Amino acid sequence: MQFKIASVDSLIIYFGNEISQDVSTKVKKAFKSISALKDEALIEIIPSYNSIFITYDIFTYNFNTLKEKIESSITLDILEKIEEKIVTIDVYYGSEVGFDLEDISKKTSLSISEIISIHSNKLYDVYAIGFLPGFAYLGNVDKRIAMSRLSSPRKIIPKGSLAIADTQSAIYPQNSPGGWNIIGKTAMKLFDKKLATLSPLSVGNKVNFNPITKEEFLKQGGIL
Amino acid sequence: MSLELINSPILALVQDKGRFSYTSIGVTNSGVMDEYAYLIANKLLGNEHNTNIIEIAFSNIIFKATKNTMIVITGAKCEFFINEKVLNTWQTHNVKAGDIIKIGKILSGSRVYLGVYRGFNIEKEFTSNSTTLKENLGGLNGDKLQKGDILDFNSFTNSSFVRLKEKYIPNYEEELNLRVVLSYQEDFFKENQIDKFFSNTYTVTNEFNRMGCKLDGKEISCDIDGIISEGIAFGAIQIPKDGKPIILLKDRQTIGGYPKIGSVLSIDCFKLSQCKPLQKVKFIPITLEEAQKKVKLFYSSFRT
Repeated sequence: MQFKIASVDSLIIYFGNEISQDVSTKVKKAFKSISALKDEALIEIIPSYNSIFITYDIFTYNFNTLKEKIESSITLDILEKIEEKIVTIDVYYGSEVGFDLEDISKKTSLSISEIISIHSNKLYDVYAIGFLPGFAYLGNVDKRIAMSRLSSPRKIIPKGSLAIADTQSAIYPQNSPGGWNIIGKTAMKLFDKKLATLSPLSVGNKVNFNPITKEEFLKQGGIL
Repeated sequence: MSLELINSPILALVQDKGRFSYTSIGVTNSGVMDEYAYLIANKLLGNEHNTNIIEIAFSNIIFKATKNTMIVITGAKCEFFINEKVLNTWQTHNVKAGDIIKIGKILSGSRVYLGVYRGFNIEKEFTSNSTTLKENLGGLNGDKLQKGDILDFNSFTNSSFVRLKEKYIPNYEEELNLRVVLSYQEDFFKENQIDKFFSNTYTVTNEFNRMGCKLDGKEISCDIDGIISEGIAFGAIQIPKDGKPIILLKDRQTIGGYPKIGSVLSIDCFKLSQCKPLQKVKFIPITLEEAQKKVKLFYSSFRT
């Protein structure tokens, strides 16, 4: 663990220098123990791929006292299993909503059904959430279907679109410009103020994609 | 009915101190851009420090009061009228049912705050009334204020007034010194780049909104192009590939992958929030210890 100043009232803890499951596991464990402190002087706790950012009340802590407190309250026992909630997301992988499926098929010489099967036969980790509220960065996408971002981003990617960029996958929680490759769509709400938790996903969850038919997608309220 | 909006302002938002503890799912802090003007407004009104307020950018807003209350205008220097009578800002005014409250042109600074006694009765969304347009959260239905909107408050009749001492009213036209705590990826900036950063003057551009402020001036180069996305502090200074600093403000993204040289003191970001394009700013280094002293002093003066 390496502690660095972030601003007058925040610090950042690094758990490694690369994106990997090992580093992410450390982040998740530390995030869990820091959150469990339920310390009101820790105003924001943002876990990401290899770091945890914390905003703190400077009337309670300074950099050193908070560093000591955190060092003494988290253990990063790699062998200890952590319970991870699995969230299943139904996806319609159809070409009407998966704008880039054909292009990926051409580039990879894989059939569309192979791409779908490779993408959906995997349990993904939520590494980080950001860019948009509820936009979860999921990894890792199988290298066979890893695709670099589009050279010119789309002006609007529809809400619910499932996308790939390099070895990461994500769902756009709202209409947004974006440069990721679109392979499908879900009717599930990834950010909605009617949800008690605002978003069904948080860092530390695992995600599983379940391919559904067009009929099921429409029945769930999906929009083509 | 209480305060009815009778014109269509360009950008008027209900705000409070902000929405906290949801950044881990990507929800920004939001909140008033200029906490000084906001806290003074609530102090003059005798309100709790987290009472909601209206933040007005680009000005020209007209309200009709339908109940008695006490109001105050702080922040940017502006034309301010009640029933066409010119009045002072940074001072409370007693408003009667039927009065027309108008804020005309902004004369210096860029954000005006309008507060009422005990605040507006608006249900909070996820602990806050702060409006974040891109998230559709806060305010009235997650949106900016529109013609016909009605902001309810409890009726209050009063005859005295409170005024802020002249010496506490900020001058928003001065060249601004932004105190910076070096942090984050500071080690990836060579010494001559850090010297360049602190010895040159930068200009506020028109790429300036609630998310952040882009500056123009001497380019700063970083030894790395990008970093693994990580949490972004209020006031963090990103150095993108073009070398022109971007200071991240209240509606910033929660995580991002540009290298950051350091962070501007929160209390200086409040002043930056009142800058206009072409205004000059200069970065001044400050130690973390000294910075925390300054920020504590600022907030201590508002603690009762």
